[in-house]
Amino acid sequence: MKLVVREITDTRCSFIVDGVKPDIVNALRRTLIADVPKMAIDEVEFHMGPIRDEEGNEYDSNSALFDEMIAHRLGMVPIPTDLQHFTFREQCECNGAGCPHCTIIYVMNKKGPCTVYSGDLQPLGDISLNIKEELIPIVKLKEKQALLIYATAILGRGKDHAKWQSVTICGYKNFPKITIKNDDCCFDPEDCVRSCPRKVFEVEKGKVIIKNLENCDLCMNCLDHCESSDGRGEPFIEVDEVTDKFIFTFETDGSITAKDALIYALKNLEDKYEELREQVSGLD
Amino acid sequence: MIIPVRCFTCGRVIGHLYEEYARRTEAGESAEKVLDDLKLERYCCRRMLITHVELIDEVMPFT
Ligand code: SF4
Ligand SMILES: [Zn+2]
Ligand SMILES: [Zn+2]
Repeated sequence: MKLVVREITDTRCSFIVDGVKPDIVNALRRTLIADVPKMAIDEVEFHMGPIRDEEGNEYDSNSALFDEMIAHRLGMVPIPTDLQHFTFREQCECNGAGCPHCTIIYVMNKKGPCTVYSGDLQPLGDISLNIKEELIPIVKLKEKQALLIYATAILGRGKDHAKWQSVTICGYKNFPKITIKNDDCCFDPEDCVRSCPRKVFEVEKGKVIIKNLENCDLCMNCLDHCESSDGRGEPFIEVDEVTDKFIFTFETDGSITAKDALIYALKNLEDKYEELREQVSGLD
Repeated sequence: MIIPVRCFTCGRVIGHLYEEYARRTEAGESAEKVLDDLKLERYCCRRMLITHVELIDEVMPFT
């Protein structure tokens, strides 16, 4: 198995895997989606009743959205996660009571009229836990409305709830293989180039050449066009997939970097296969 | 009611982009250009902003 990274940024990664069967690639996809953990707000405590500020003005703890809605919106906000630092609550040395290794507590204290943003979540303690996407609107407040919230974030996995799914979009396609069988096939090279929605072809010196092979979606649109302009049945372009080579792309929601997610997933997959091997070798 | 935090389909965070989108389209820029600038490349994320109706300002007086 060979893995070549094509492109990697903080939130996006694309790589080519060569020499594997689809089941391995699919296992990696499922691990990335369901098993890479991240922190997300799991419990929100709302202050009920009147709220007073320093000048003695009284506010109502009320807003245009139901508290459940606000809690749900807070759950979807990505929280910066350092996988080296945080552990699951059940496995933590505090035995699930909640400590800085398994829990982050955020406070939100806003008084109307205003828009409440995700950046208004203030972590108790470490400021490196400040929310990165600060401008997500959570709710709007009018005069005499206020919001006082304690939100608890814990580590979880995508298989338990989508808010703990650190890898959002994730998929792979077979590596394309395109051959142009006859060099002077082209009656209408421009039409051929236009027929491809992914801009794979280009015209060079009156001939069609393959420019961006990896863009190809295997949609076979070019074949239809080739056939129709040829008029002799067999299309001159041949599009095929390489069965053991894949282009894999995924994006994270920003709570962990794409690199960390990939490393974690590969490690997790290895551990799982190791466990399976042990259990199978224990059978008679 | 209020812009969803994430794209319903793919899960990309889009909530923080809405205010810029609303401000710029209001000022007369074409939605296509703004969405491209905001680096929304999939049509699922683009429709989240295009089709959103900000109703919360309408509802707020009655709460
Ligand atoms: S199969 Fe589709 S994407 Fe690939 S070259 Fe042909 S038209 Fe383009
Ligand atoms: Zn703990
Ligand atoms: Zn989307």
